[in-house]
Amino acid sequence: MSGGTSVGVRLASHFATVEQQKHAAVLGMWAWLLTELLLFAGLFLTALILRLTHPEAVQAAARHLKFWIGAVNTVVLIGSSLTMSGAIQLSRLGWQRGMVRFMLATAALGTLFLALKGYEYYADYHEHMMPFLSDRPYALTDSPPSRLFVNLYYVATGLHGLHLLTGIAILLAMTRQASRPGFLAAHQNRIEIFGLYWHFIDLIWIVAFPTLYVLNR
Amino acid sequence: MTSGTITDGPALRDPHTPDSRIGHGPDYLHAEHTLRSWFFTTDHKRIALLYLASITAFFVIGAVTAGLVRLALVVPDGQVFTNDTYNKLFTIHGVVMVWFFLIPSIPATFGNFLIPLMIGARDLAFPKLNLASWYVFMTGAFFTLVSVVLGGVDTGWTFYTPLSTAFSNTWVVPALIGVTIVGFSSILTGLNFVVTIHTMRAPGMTWFRLPIFVWTHYATSLIFLLATPVITVALVLLIAERAFHIGVFDPAYGGDPVLFQHLFWFYSHPAVYIMVLPGMGVISEIVPAFAQKKLFGYRFVAYAAIGLASVTFFVWGHHMFVNGQSDLASVAFSVLSFAVAVPSAVKVYNWTATIHKGSLKLDTPMLYAMGYIGLFVLGGLTGLYLATLAINQHVHATYFVVAHFHYIMVGGTVLAFLGGLHFWWPKFTGRMYIEAWGRISAVLIFIGFNVTFFPQFILGYLGMPRRYHVYPAEFQFLNILSSAGSTILAVGYIFPMIYLVYAIWFGKRAPANPWDARGLEWTVASPPPAHNFLTEPQAPKVPYDYPIQARETGRQHS
Ligand code: HEM
Ligand SMILES: [Cu+2]
Repeated sequence: MSGGTSVGVRLASHFATVEQQKHAAVLGMWAWLLTELLLFAGLFLTALILRLTHPEAVQAAARHLKFWIGAVNTVVLIGSSLTMSGAIQLSRLGWQRGMVRFMLATAALGTLFLALKGYEYYADYHEHMMPFLSDRPYALTDSPPSRLFVNLYYVATGLHGLHLLTGIAILLAMTRQASRPGFLAAHQNRIEIFGLYWHFIDLIWIVAFPTLYVLNR
Repeated sequence: MTSGTITDGPALRDPHTPDSRIGHGPDYLHAEHTLRSWFFTTDHKRIALLYLASITAFFVIGAVTAGLVRLALVVPDGQVFTNDTYNKLFTIHGVVMVWFFLIPSIPATFGNFLIPLMIGARDLAFPKLNLASWYVFMTGAFFTLVSVVLGGVDTGWTFYTPLSTAFSNTWVVPALIGVTIVGFSSILTGLNFVVTIHTMRAPGMTWFRLPIFVWTHYATSLIFLLATPVITVALVLLIAERAFHIGVFDPAYGGDPVLFQHLFWFYSHPAVYIMVLPGMGVISEIVPAFAQKKLFGYRFVAYAAIGLASVTFFVWGHHMFVNGQSDLASVAFSVLSFAVAVPSAVKVYNWTATIHKGSLKLDTPMLYAMGYIGLFVLGGLTGLYLATLAINQHVHATYFVVAHFHYIMVGGTVLAFLGGLHFWWPKFTGRMYIEAWGRISAVLIFIGFNVTFFPQFILGYLGMPRRYHVYPAEFQFLNILSSAGSTILAVGYIFPMIYLVYAIWFGKRAPANPWDARGLEWTVASPPPAHNFLTEPQAPKVPYDYPIQARETGRQHS
């Protein structure tokens, strides 16, 4: 515990105890993640059904996905989960400044992911792999189901990207709050709760990558 | 309750709470007076009233469009409106009534107000999220209203593909965006309830001391959390399909229009239990209070709520018997749908057993509750007809289906809503309404409802399809009967809007417990103090501890 400031949670007026408040926050986040899981499950399921009904078309489309960018991005996100865990550990110890650094690293890795993803989208655009653009003819015209697969790929990765973007925004807002002393004394559990969300975004990608990229190669 | 006379002055406008009654600071209505204090409140009781005002407005929109639909059906040749207008009218009616009235109705108003009081908490676990859910709700409503103002939607509330994606020339996308957004407000409300019920119960308030109202809201919240995201995906895909033609619901691209039906009903069948379970909770509070008798089979009623919330996820295919799904699937969905009737019946039997040998008082809430039980039975039994494969071939997409779901959603949920409104109105506002008017309206609504919807069973059985306004002339008599009934129903709805609002200012002051009912919400003043409990709430040892005990073994004699 050396060097840390005090760690705790300020009691909100409608709770009886801090324990109760923390329990509520954790349960709330898990409930939210459960609904998120079902949201993504619906999408992945649709993609898997398409894969079963039109295997060749899906494979033809998946060959255009940038496997290596996807793979690198998987590593990047796992890395960001590690730095996030680091931030959580440090927050428990009360090392506020170290925690902020780890949070910034997490945000940086998240941004790197988005940058790589953006580059991937750009390359897709270049290869005429954006079938939903009406003014840009689609590359695999002879395979309509592949068009659907690519579109689902955009819906799923787009929705994931949106979650990541939200995550980065919250993370940056929290680092700002945490740059003032005394943050951990009042709000330590915000870090824990946010950590759950961050790991979840990571997990969704870890499911998306095999479903979209690996399985169809 | 004696009929009210004009009493001691305006309650809401009166800035000083009469201290003879409370003496511990102002109640939640008088705590603050600015508009800001309403629109930025985090008090669950005030948020409940924000919701109540909004859903009442939507109910009026839904009711007016329903009236126009019934007007069109008075003549068989479809001359009242154009086909397009008629299609838009029943679509607005369905969309508004389902998503903007029924789904939020009881949970977002009574649930919001009462759950913290019933479990002995100061507020919901996440008060700001609760307020946010109202803003999310209003944002969704805004989009849907925009689509109506721009010219409406004609797909029906079910948004079936390919009509909604490829053929409709109306404002489908803004309507879909609205409904998608509203889903998030449901999710936030459900999340808040689940967490609150798990973590905020007062010391001693164990799960089996909770009122059934809390149990049914817990079950409803689980459905909110588990089913709503699936409709969100379905609607997002539908928006993408319509806006960008991505191909998910288009066979030309390997998509499947029936996939939409699967996703839609995977949510929307459980959603019918979102609409019906909270009402069951209301009835389970009203019936023991007006029979002054302990709720019969408490544990069974509680488990039945959870049972309904579970089985309801496995019956969605009963909406798709005639769309080419495999026979095996149809048989399975049929059998599972029959299974749903079991927990539903458990509840009905327990309510009737509670009434049996109780000391009955037929006040307004109880009249609504009794109406509910009768109409819910009819609606549920006709659900079994519909779940029978052979009968379904005959009556699918006819007025029989329309009558079935209106018996449950209007005869059931709306009556429960009104019953609850009258039961807890003294608690919400601190005022009593005029009892005689309450009884008259309850009876009018019951009669009007049956005259409106019973003929529709017959019409459907004779083969009148739903969603058409041109029909064979021999169906005209029953249609006129139905339309006539709807005017009685309308009068029955307008009365409470008048006398309940009137009571806010001019009603007699309500005591803390006007019905001699049990439950923690009746231990606090009416209206409750801003922070609910002035002293630590004492959880009762037994729920529904009324003077008359239910004899559940059947062997005891008095
Ligand atoms: C005992 C339980 C129930 C059973 C077995 C049941 C069965 C069915 C079946 C088989 C259908 C499909 C009819 C068809 O389209 O051919 C149906 C339609 C419907 N039911 Fe039920 N139902 C039950 C309870 C409920 C409840 C509690 C509600 C609402 C609160 C409800 C609302 C609806 C609605 C809205 C439709 C029509 C949907 C549409 O096509 O627009 N049902 N029901
Ligand atoms: Cu159903």
